[in-house]
Amino acid sequence: MFLEVNNLSVNLGQFHLVDVNLGLEKEDYMVIIGPTGSGKSVLLETIAGFYRPQSGRIFLEGKDITHLTPEKRGISIIYQDYVLFPHMNVFENIAYGLKKRIEDKEVIESSVIDAAKRLKIDHLLDRNPETLSGGEKQRTAIARSLIVEPNLLLMDEPFSALDVNTHTYLTDLLKKAISDYQTTCIHVSHNFNDVWSLAEQVAVMRDGEILQQGVVADVFSKPRHDFVADFVGVRNIFQGEVVDGSKGITDVEIDKNLILHSSDTYNTDFKEVMVVIRPENIIFSNQPFVSSIRNQLKGIVTEVVLIGPTVWVEVDVHGTSFKGIITPSSLDMLGIKKGNEIYLSFKSVNVKLIDND
Amino acid sequence: MRSKLELSFISIAFIFTCILFIIIGSIFLIPSFEGFINALFSDEIQFALRLTLSTSIIAASCVMLVAIPTAYSLARYEFPLKSVVKSIIDLPMAFPEIVLGIAILMMFGNQFLGNVLQNLGIDIVFTTAGVIVAQFFVAFPYSVRILYSTFNYVNPRYEFVSRSLGYGEFETLKNITLPLARGGIFASSVVTIARCIGTFGAVLLVGGGTYLKTETLSIAIYYNLSLGNIDNAITAAIILVVISFIAIFVLEKYAYKDMEGV
Repeated sequence: MFLEVNNLSVNLGQFHLVDVNLGLEKEDYMVIIGPTGSGKSVLLETIAGFYRPQSGRIFLEGKDITHLTPEKRGISIIYQDYVLFPHMNVFENIAYGLKKRIEDKEVIESSVIDAAKRLKIDHLLDRNPETLSGGEKQRTAIARSLIVEPNLLLMDEPFSALDVNTHTYLTDLLKKAISDYQTTCIHVSHNFNDVWSLAEQVAVMRDGEILQQGVVADVFSKPRHDFVADFVGVRNIFQGEVVDGSKGITDVEIDKNLILHSSDTYNTDFKEVMVVIRPENIIFSNQPFVSSIRNQLKGIVTEVVLIGPTVWVEVDVHGTSFKGIITPSSLDMLGIKKGNEIYLSFKSVNVKLIDND
Repeated sequence: MRSKLELSFISIAFIFTCILFIIIGSIFLIPSFEGFINALFSDEIQFALRLTLSTSIIAASCVMLVAIPTAYSLARYEFPLKSVVKSIIDLPMAFPEIVLGIAILMMFGNQFLGNVLQNLGIDIVFTTAGVIVAQFFVAFPYSVRILYSTFNYVNPRYEFVSRSLGYGEFETLKNITLPLARGGIFASSVVTIARCIGTFGAVLLVGGGTYLKTETLSIAIYYNLSLGNIDNAITAAIILVVISFIAIFVLEKYAYKDMEGV
């Protein structure tokens, strides 16, 4: 194991970790998800060495680093609020960690320019951090962390303060940069898109405990814990085979003659994929309708269950079962009953593909 | 149209600022120009001015050296009796300065401690060193107060990031924390030195207020006023007012502007 966290317990009063176990191989990308206040940030900061654990051990490349000071661990950290040093410009921020390691100013300068180019901020090097946009600030923070080639990169909600377009753009840049620098990453997030687009491994956390950890497809298809199942909220998981990925939209056959369209780009290494649709993304209607929605299926209602303020509706489409969630008033309006015919619609962007191992 | 509350509150603010301004301004009108110049260049006032400035600079420097680590540890670390330490440091701000003065006098005038220090060649009571000690303890709590809120204001994540990039605790303090706190450190220095310059009761009791030996500007006001030497008293007062104005001006212009960036 590249990173091994064994029975780690930390008590900071308000936040705590209880017997946390975590394992990561080199160049893995792990996303830790969980509700607010579940101790995700404390876990990262303890791995980085800012908090002393009450008990437990942390091993990095086989070496016990539990009591090592943060500066000796070679672990970089990126925060949601960027934490760029306000008294330094972009160049000085990126160069900061390198200056500790390298004396030669020319080498530092060329490395900074190289990192800035990779993150497309080479035109901003003279700027003051406060004059940058959120996305530019986060790219600077990423460059500052990666330039020292850390053993491990920790990211605490790195994209959550950014708008959707910037988020997508940064995700792509980050993917490329971490593969260039061959970095192992742990990324804390509450956004499932980060799991779909970045993670190989996922861990679900609640109240300072890791409830389940594993490869993304496993955790989502076989939640071992009620909370994990509830939290990940995925009820529609199918095995599928990519039949066409050439048009920018990926067509996946999940059953004979049942083809779903996804806007996820298809990784050519895998033909077998896992298809995930969240129940709240399924729209029910009594008639087919013309729209930009790519997926429209006809089925028979097999189950209607009232759970709290919501209604779960199960629909059979040629032998494949889909689960959706609606409000009781929609149920009345549509007159949905067991045995009725019904149409299901969902956008291709809501059909997520996960590479099968 | 302003509301009644708005109008009455603004009026109160204006009226009492005016009264304060007139009170402060009136001391400038009392002495004749000639009397002022004569008093300003008299041996007594010249001595008091030099003594006040030199002791205040030394005392304020010592205060900063001790207050920075004290305030930093209160802001960053958890340790036993932390709240007690905080209350004790704040205490002198609440009780009269003269009480602090008599306490210091008793402490250093005490046979045992006094003898120990005397054997080491240190004389505190009724000496210039006593003036500095008194100024130190009067100003220290104010300095810690300002620095404490300054360090609280610097997000510890800046330090975390610096540490994670390979810098040790001291390097991080030097490269990141102190530069980010520079506005507060500057403000604290100005307030500290102003407190040192203006202190009276404690300095009088511990230093003794001896003519041309331990007589500071504020003591000079008191002595000259009681002797009926109005020109000297008012001149000393004017010097103190001018120094305060400079301190406030510097604070407004540099320190607060600097703190906005953090």
